[in-house]
Amino acid sequence: MTIGVTHFLVVGAVMFCCGLYTMSTKRNAIGILIGVELVLNSSALNLVAFDRYMGAGRLDGQIMALFIIVLAAAEAALAVGICINVYRNLATVDVDKATQLRG
Amino acid sequence: MNFEQLSMLAPEFTMLVGGCLALLVGATSASQRAQLVSPLAFITIVAALLMTLSLGTPESAQVIPGLWLSSLTFYVRCVALVVGAIIVLVNWHQPTASERGEYMALILFSLLGVLLTASSNDLIVLFFSIELVSIPTYVLIGLSREDSRASESAVKYFFLGALSAAILAYGMSFLYGAAGTTLLQTSGDGASIAAWASHGVMSGTAIVGLLLILAGLAFKVAAVPLHVYVGDVYEGAASPITGLLGFVPKLAGFVALIQIFSACQWDVPDAAYWAIWAMAAATMTVGNVVALLQTNVKRMLAYSSVAHTGYMLVALLVGPMAGHGPMHNGVAALLFYIAVYGAMNLGLFAVLSAFARRGKPIETLDDLAGLATVSPLIGLATAVCSFSLMGLPPTAGFVGKLYVFSSAFSLGAEHAFQKPLIILAVIGVVNSAIGAAYYLRIVASVYIRESDESPTPVAGHPVRWGIALCSIPLLVLFVWPVGLLDTARQASVPTNAPVHSVKVVEASGITSAPNTTPPVLLNEMPFAAASRD
Repeated sequence: MTIGVTHFLVVGAVMFCCGLYTMSTKRNAIGILIGVELVLNSSALNLVAFDRYMGAGRLDGQIMALFIIVLAAAEAALAVGICINVYRNLATVDVDKATQLRG
Repeated sequence: MNFEQLSMLAPEFTMLVGGCLALLVGATSASQRAQLVSPLAFITIVAALLMTLSLGTPESAQVIPGLWLSSLTFYVRCVALVVGAIIVLVNWHQPTASERGEYMALILFSLLGVLLTASSNDLIVLFFSIELVSIPTYVLIGLSREDSRASESAVKYFFLGALSAAILAYGMSFLYGAAGTTLLQTSGDGASIAAWASHGVMSGTAIVGLLLILAGLAFKVAAVPLHVYVGDVYEGAASPITGLLGFVPKLAGFVALIQIFSACQWDVPDAAYWAIWAMAAATMTVGNVVALLQTNVKRMLAYSSVAHTGYMLVALLVGPMAGHGPMHNGVAALLFYIAVYGAMNLGLFAVLSAFARRGKPIETLDDLAGLATVSPLIGLATAVCSFSLMGLPPTAGFVGKLYVFSSAFSLGAEHAFQKPLIILAVIGVVNSAIGAAYYLRIVASVYIRESDESPTPVAGHPVRWGIALCSIPLLVLFVWPVGLLDTARQASVPTNAPVHSVKVVEASGITSAPNTTPPVLLNEMPFAAASRD
């Protein structure tokens, strides 16, 4: 059996679903961030796979995958900043405790 | 790329340099230097606006393959910079002196993202422009706020925003896989999504991609079902920055949708069409009904922002080429409406930030009571903005709603979606009537209700100017909508003419597609002409 683009897409879809599942079940803000990273990386994997198998040879997909890695790093930095801010105010990073706003 | 081409990006460079300068000035600790930051940000935006106007409406011009200036770029630049300048006025004294540099720089960077979204011609550039819009807003919510509700709303906004960005990227990966390129359009024969869409039926991969992109952008424009954050985020953020949150990401999201649909030749696959249809109907209804139940004005305006997204989605569904008449252009109606929405929404949040009651910023309907006796002019401005959000004459909100719904009613019988769109427009009109109820509560609170303790004005001159600059144009645009609407109509015509009709002009050093925009005749607009009389 040769490995084709579908195999990569399936792995990507599994990562995407795992990311969504992580985001919806984790109560710790850092855990939710890990879920976001999984979803972002599934798109990077898709891009690289499409580039390898279906791209026009311009490496668009690989370049976008690189940029997405950069974005993931930037978002992680921002998330840690926001989590520290929350911890200073609520003394926890459990998102279930952040319930002042309801309506 | 040469200097001439780069100079067409002058507004973007101005915003970038202005933002960096604001950061540098803000980094110096002297508090008298912090006073310079707000004027600096304001001057930067005005300078960028003047450059945009002097550059004029470009013929579709390619700077680099990923950046393509068009009449849409011109329109969005003007709208984003004008509203952006008012946003800076409203936020003038909001941040503490020590954080003012970062605060203003983030506003400038967010606006820069909108400008880049409007000129992006590549999925990579488009994606990162949208992220450039969003990421500063996550920080702005939590910055300069002691309130622990602000950090809670920042955390909610950030995680949902990050998820939507990831879904958007996932969708774009599928669109890329189907089209084989990330370029939206080219002036030559090269591969582009426009060229791919013009000859070929959409594959399943592309449809999945489009649906995921739609889901990702639904968060930015606050459409159901990704609207769940708005109430909490708007309530937790400071009023001045909420004016930005309601407008800037929404503008970027809709421009991105227009860019992607116009690359797909507005030939939206049925699945995506019905998805937007359902989304529009649900967004209007949920937004208005939930807003009715609120007593907190910020929360009410948050759900009103959801409802207005629904109206704009109706216009998006009509598309730019529904017919030949003046009222048949949904995208022009959308672009007009979002500009008007930016002004009226920002105006109300500016009013909220201009007063305090019992030492706290006003938030609820009770807090607003007696405002008109304290400050008759600001009371009048509140009424103008509320009537405009309601869609009543004599305000621009009426003109905007008229264009949006008449574009949906004007489709010919040959259009496959004529009946569903008429049903949608009827839902929209009914919703406008529901919406009137809660906007009237704001006006009634300001004018009729009495209060033992009236709100006290806390705002300086910049905020007052901001309120004036939001509400006066709403009246002017009712009398004379032609200028803005004309520009919106030029911007709405898809720039990607069929590939063979585009010729490459090398002599000037600028690769351009000449005259892809047909001339727009003023006398084609019966309503506009009538309202002038």
